[in-house]
Amino acid sequence: MQRPRLYDHIVLLFGVFLMMGPLVVAITTSSFLPETIHREGMQLGWGGHAAETYWNVLTKKGGFSENITGILMTQNSLILGLGFAVGKIVVSMLAAYAIVYFRFPLASFFFWVIFATLLMPLEVRILPSYEVVQGLGMLNTYTGLILPLIASATGTFFFRQFFRSIPDELIEAARIDGAGPVRFFIDILVPLSKTMMAAIFIIMFVVGWNQYLWPTLMTTDETLYTLVRGIRQVMNVYVGANIPDYNEALAMAVLAMLPPALVIIIFQRMFIKGLVETEK
Amino acid sequence: MKKSVFTQPTLPYLLLAPQMIIIAIFFIWPAFEAIRSSFFIQDPFFGKSTFVGIDNYTDAVGKSDYLRTANFTFWFTLFVSFLSLGFGLLFAVSADQVLRGQASYKTILMWVYAIAPPVAGLIGIMLFDQHIGPIVDFFALLGWRMQVGVSYFDTAFAMTVVATWKQIPYNFIFFLSGLQSIPRAVREAAAIDCRRPFRRFWTIVFPLLAPTSFFLLILNITYAFFETFGVVDLMVKGEPGNNPVTLVYKVYQDGFRGLDVGGSAAQSVILMILVLALTILQFRLIERRVHYS
Amino acid sequence: MKTTVLLAGAFATATFSATAEPIKIDWWHAMGGALGETVNELAVKFNESQDEYEILPVYKGTYEETLTATIAAFRAGEHPNIVQVFEAGAATLMGAPGAVIPVEDLMTANGVDFDIEDYISGVRYFYADEAGKMVGMPFNSSTPILYYNVEALEKAGVTPPKTWEEFASTTAPALKEAGYIPAAQSHLPWIFTENFFSRHNIQFATDNNGYSSAAPKILVNNDAIKAHFTAVKDWVDAGLFGYYGTGWSDNQTPFENQEVAMWMGSSGSFGGLKQAADFEFSATFLPYWEAVTTEPKQTFIGGAALWAMSGHADDENKAAAEFFRFLTSAEVQYFWHQETGYVPITEAAYEMAKADGYYETTPQAEVGIQQLTLPSGEWTKGYRMGFYVQIRDVMNREYGRIMSGEASVEDAFSIIEEEANQLLERFGKTSG
Repeated sequence: MQRPRLYDHIVLLFGVFLMMGPLVVAITTSSFLPETIHREGMQLGWGGHAAETYWNVLTKKGGFSENITGILMTQNSLILGLGFAVGKIVVSMLAAYAIVYFRFPLASFFFWVIFATLLMPLEVRILPSYEVVQGLGMLNTYTGLILPLIASATGTFFFRQFFRSIPDELIEAARIDGAGPVRFFIDILVPLSKTMMAAIFIIMFVVGWNQYLWPTLMTTDETLYTLVRGIRQVMNVYVGANIPDYNEALAMAVLAMLPPALVIIIFQRMFIKGLVETEK
Repeated sequence: MKKSVFTQPTLPYLLLAPQMIIIAIFFIWPAFEAIRSSFFIQDPFFGKSTFVGIDNYTDAVGKSDYLRTANFTFWFTLFVSFLSLGFGLLFAVSADQVLRGQASYKTILMWVYAIAPPVAGLIGIMLFDQHIGPIVDFFALLGWRMQVGVSYFDTAFAMTVVATWKQIPYNFIFFLSGLQSIPRAVREAAAIDCRRPFRRFWTIVFPLLAPTSFFLLILNITYAFFETFGVVDLMVKGEPGNNPVTLVYKVYQDGFRGLDVGGSAAQSVILMILVLALTILQFRLIERRVHYS
Repeated sequence: MKTTVLLAGAFATATFSATAEPIKIDWWHAMGGALGETVNELAVKFNESQDEYEILPVYKGTYEETLTATIAAFRAGEHPNIVQVFEAGAATLMGAPGAVIPVEDLMTANGVDFDIEDYISGVRYFYADEAGKMVGMPFNSSTPILYYNVEALEKAGVTPPKTWEEFASTTAPALKEAGYIPAAQSHLPWIFTENFFSRHNIQFATDNNGYSSAAPKILVNNDAIKAHFTAVKDWVDAGLFGYYGTGWSDNQTPFENQEVAMWMGSSGSFGGLKQAADFEFSATFLPYWEAVTTEPKQTFIGGAALWAMSGHADDENKAAAEFFRFLTSAEVQYFWHQETGYVPITEAAYEMAKADGYYETTPQAEVGIQQLTLPSGEWTKGYRMGFYVQIRDVMNREYGRIMSGEASVEDAFSIIEEEANQLLERFGKTSG
């Protein structure tokens, strides 16, 4: 029998306070007027201006062209998150399939090229990547936004690992049935990988949604801003001379964290599996 | 190794094509471009280059500022990694023990993972704001007059706290699933052998977690090195001044803010070499893990 | 169904024949928030004032981001017709001959009258080339001035200080006594460095303050400014001066919260202050050191200029010239001045504001322009140095070290001199 775990509960409650405290303050403060926040600091109560602030952030049109709103930014974030996740899964599954199930002369060469991409995160080759994308005329396009992020082949490695753990008997059976490589991939490999694909999808969606440095450089056209990129824009106002719109900045921060948080909470089990398995 | 393989002349190349094209255009080309331009000084408007040999490297590394940044990056990485590992482990061990409310604790402690670093940074600067920050008020009660943005140390402290906070859930998830994969039999035996929980933890549970911890350490180092860009960028408010920044931030600052293409490229190459070393270490560890498990 | 198609067709032809398509030009700027709204208003006014041209302003982020975006776009051949670039980026544009069309050339080539003497003296040559030809059109021009809390000064029984000597001996101790932090400022490189050199008429860089060379040497390591920073640091330690980091608003906020009694900021901060401060405040000239000069001069402008970029069709250049004509008209300048607090850049606009009685109701708004029209000196025309964004970063870093006691004034200034000269040399190589 376990005795009551008072100590553990205290530790965990401290953890809850530590992790949730800042977020709670951020959310409550976003319901106050900026003048109040400016004079009296961050607030714990409820300011009663939440509805209008959030409505403003979501729908107020920015820029002279008046075509960027919080809703549009959310949409861009979704495109980035989904495009990144889907693109990464498709590209890396195909590549891993070739590497694991085919015998061809340059296989190990390709494997090492893919391996090399793990050595350099986008951050260290950021400036030349920018120049390449610019040279291709892909600044301010979704393609230019998403493709360079996919270049790092973490996904390929994961699928390679996973495919190698699939018993060989399966492929034998498929051969006897007369299935070619394409049918084998579609009828056997893809269904077998379903849970793994879903798990990876969740991780990659969150990673894609949260991208900051690359979108910051890449998108100068307001209509392509993501929510996370939008935070920087809000900051510029924070740095400026007028009373910063603290409430709107915080509201945008809350909006930017909501979708990935929901995905993680709803698909918790799959998320943990994906995270722990992929990083191994 | 697979015994059964397809032998098809073109299909594998077709399957690899998308990955390879993306790698060639967005990885290999920029990487070589970085190395090439690190030996040139470039006029930003017309891209007119002048070959300067290794001047960009000596100029970059020779500055007191670069060494200071490297020094900060080192300590920042160290503190963020160990503190977030420590807190992650602390919470995971307790979450593994409790029965009532385990699911809720788990959800609450892990979902902060979903927050983007710049979002954490934004909340961070407000919490640490000189004029309106509640954390500053709190430390003032303890007699510490924090001045984030003025004092190098205070800003470094605030950045470390924010970057650590954001990383705790990640380590928590890994440690918790590591703990829960320890077989029941081992735990029960441990409970009989060592009655005192602390001793039980250090003699039995911790050694079992050690491989996970080493591996996580590498991941945490990578995080502190690269992914904290958003935290740093928000917390220095675009004007670093006398505030600490990381090496990655400096690449960005010199290249995009200062328009010094060559100098920034040289710093990129230095970072590439560092990452190379780190990755080799990481793969050594993985190999060993695969080997023994 | 059929009728709608027909109607739509008829409508399309009707609009097509009624107005010829206006010539569209792009304008990238860095004015966020309320300033951005005023920029949009300007654009709407221009577009409504005629129907041949249409300007589209686009907000591109901070000054630095706007410059970077412009360069990237220029290399891709997709740059805007007009771009707003700030003073620290001026050398980068000037160092790339062929990237911009000097406004003076643009105006005369398109039949718009241009006389540099129309512009007020503090603004005239700041964005000009060595020969005095105006290259960038001064747009949002401001200058650092001293704002003060009227009630605080009354309570302490002092008047705003004319000199730093007066500040140290009389003003600051009295204000401290009255429970205030006497003073703060928001931008050390701009207010206490560049404008220190101009106010005291000291040379800031070799080669004619940098105008006649791509790689001048900075002369920042000067005894007068070192004495100034030594004094400031002493004041900070004695509680006579507040330093809150490099963030602009971090230093402005305590003035708005009435903790700080006097604050040195931009004349363009006026609009924002009016909104944020619920107390009476006024403004005056930047103090000077009597020990250094007894004849203080005018200050430099800060802010940004509009630059017409090359590589566009003639009719678009014509449109840009027309927009500049519109922008420099007295009415528009007066509107801009009133809305934002930036100084009017032409004598005519200044006269118009005076005639309209604007300064009788809001005397604070005149301080900036008065300071810019003080007597000029040999070194008050402006300065031009490449990689100046980084040079300012170096200054900010070293000043931060002085303020936090990590470095002595002497060491900090020799580091600034050394690193700035390295940067200037590097810049010389990029454009040489």
